[in-house]
Amino acid sequence: MLEIRDLYKRYGKFTALDGLNLEIGKGELFGFVGPNGAGKTTTMRIMSGLLRADSGSILIDGIDAVAQPMKIKEKIGYMPDFFGVYDNLKAMEYMEFYASIYGIEGLEARELCRDLMKLVNLEDKEDAYVDGLSRGMKQRLCLARSLVHNPELLILDEPASGLDPRARFEMKEILKNLSSMGKTIIISSHILPELAEMCSSIGIIEHGRMVIKGTVDDIMSRMSASNPLIIRFASGKQEAVQRLKENPRVQNIAIQEDSVAIGFSGGQEEEAELLGSLVSQGIGICHFGREEGNLESLFMQITKEDGNEG
Amino acid sequence: MKVRINPVYKKELKISVRSIRLSLVIFAYNALLAMIGLLAFYFNFDANGYRNISYSSVLVVYTMIAILEFALILFVVPAFTANAIAGERERQTLEILLTTTLKPEQIIIGKLMSSISTIILLVFSSFPVMAIVFAVGGVRFVDLLQFMVFACITSVFIGSIGVLFSTFFKKTVPATVFTYGAVVILTLGTLATLLIIYLLVVQSYENNYYNSGAVGNYNPPGLGNLTLLLLVNPAMTLLSMITKQYGSMDIFKEVLDSFGGIHESIVNNWYYISVAVQLVLSGIFLKLAAWKLRTK
Ligand SMILES: Nc1ncnc2c1ncn2[C@@H]1O[C@H](COP(=O)(O)OP(=O)(O)OP(=O)(O)O)[C@@H](O)[C@H]1O
Ligand SMILES: [Mg+2]
Repeated sequence: MLEIRDLYKRYGKFTALDGLNLEIGKGELFGFVGPNGAGKTTTMRIMSGLLRADSGSILIDGIDAVAQPMKIKEKIGYMPDFFGVYDNLKAMEYMEFYASIYGIEGLEARELCRDLMKLVNLEDKEDAYVDGLSRGMKQRLCLARSLVHNPELLILDEPASGLDPRARFEMKEILKNLSSMGKTIIISSHILPELAEMCSSIGIIEHGRMVIKGTVDDIMSRMSASNPLIIRFASGKQEAVQRLKENPRVQNIAIQEDSVAIGFSGGQEEEAELLGSLVSQGIGICHFGREEGNLESLFMQITKEDGNEG
Repeated sequence: MKVRINPVYKKELKISVRSIRLSLVIFAYNALLAMIGLLAFYFNFDANGYRNISYSSVLVVYTMIAILEFALILFVVPAFTANAIAGERERQTLEILLTTTLKPEQIIIGKLMSSISTIILLVFSSFPVMAIVFAVGGVRFVDLLQFMVFACITSVFIGSIGVLFSTFFKKTVPATVFTYGAVVILTLGTLATLLIIYLLVVQSYENNYYNSGAVGNYNPPGLGNLTLLLLVNPAMTLLSMITKQYGSMDIFKEVLDSFGGIHESIVNNWYYISVAVQLVLSGIFLKLAAWKLRTK
């Protein structure tokens, strides 16, 4: 559905996108994660034709986004990170205005807009003035607006930013719903856990490059290989610590009350071997395994180099 | 066949009709015009008695209203159009528009039409008051029509300048300032420029003339075709139109002649030529604005 190859974008001397590559399949709900200033908005603006890249290519559904911007615009619905609404315009008129841009008018437009507003739970706000709506409502209205021409690809730049937990939840449900309707969706955010639970795959961008990409489980297991090995003992803790210290694969040991956490370089086979040897020495082990990765620490780990930038 | 109205124009219309401001403005404006008209007639007819209706004083009323509306256009159109794109940018609604299938040309045209439609509505709404003048005579229906066309074209001309500045500047304030600046340059600046050049030319001629012993006829050169610069001056268009409607273009010709004459046929058809020039320029400005909107 979407294919980005070697995308470069410079603002003066500053390199915002540094050879970004990205591929997204049809029907995916893709989470585009990265810290502030990583280049998410820049990428999305290039995708939707608001910004020109210095080099690189973007194919959407096999169509070159640079060569045929009009065709691309029919295929995408874009929701910017910041946007405004018009004064003196009612929600329904707002929707109908954008529908009319795509040639949808009259009764047909009215029905379509009504359906879309229902989809984003705004069916009771038809006659409310848009500038009087709450931020969450505006964001949902803007989402509905981006759907008027039934685009295949939705590009949503931080659709949940500035929303309270309940509104975030609602937004998530709407997006899941849209995804189940077969839309391909890209959502950007700098909060990984928020995306992880609804996205089919995620990519982490950092300094204008894709650092890691895959399904959430995939990324978690890849990262957890470097997590400490936790061993909890029922008995024989002292002896076990002695043994572990002799093991060349053990890099460090942190001793807690009834367990130890060790930095262990080795794959699953070496782990099994270690467990076997400890058990055969008569040490009572009631828990043995790598520490579960948590998304937040994963994100911090990947993007740690520039924690204090900006 | 279904005629599709420009979506931007339609939306703006919806917004402007909604606000009570528009009806108030139309009411106030026409009330003012009616007052001027009545006063003018009172002084022309009643004060002098019916016997002395002079067509020239009818013309004065017509001219007054025409100049008033012209000035109104020069004052109001820049403020409205300079806001067109820059306002959309400031309100952060422009980006969304640009990601739709709306072409930049459509956005530009829709914005221009909606920004000048109010003023054109005002001008047309004054038609009945102005029509009193030709009920008396002196001014014909076609003259009035010609003025309406002139008003529309001036609005488009000034409006396209406003829209152009509105796309080039990110903010409304500089766009407005530059548009007013352009209006001043077009109306007064062109005249001033010609005057300065003319004085310099005459000065250097005089220096030569007297240095060489003042022999031969004193005959300073005119500016010739440089005077055609005035074709972009809407005030000159208005002057040529009204003087022609008066019957003789004497005043107008005098102004042009003071810079050294240009071809008679151009002077006689000044209205049509200048209107055409201004329309072509408007087209170029609008194209430029659309181009600017497209490049990122
Ligand atoms: N118009 C611009 N001129 C100069 N630099 C810019 C411009 N737009 C963006 N940048 C820079 O490019 C980098 C990437 O910005 P971008 O907005 O894409 O980040 P982001 O990932 O969307 O961040 P955030 O999470 O804060 O929205 C930033 O360092 C920013 O300073
Ligand atoms: Mg951003």
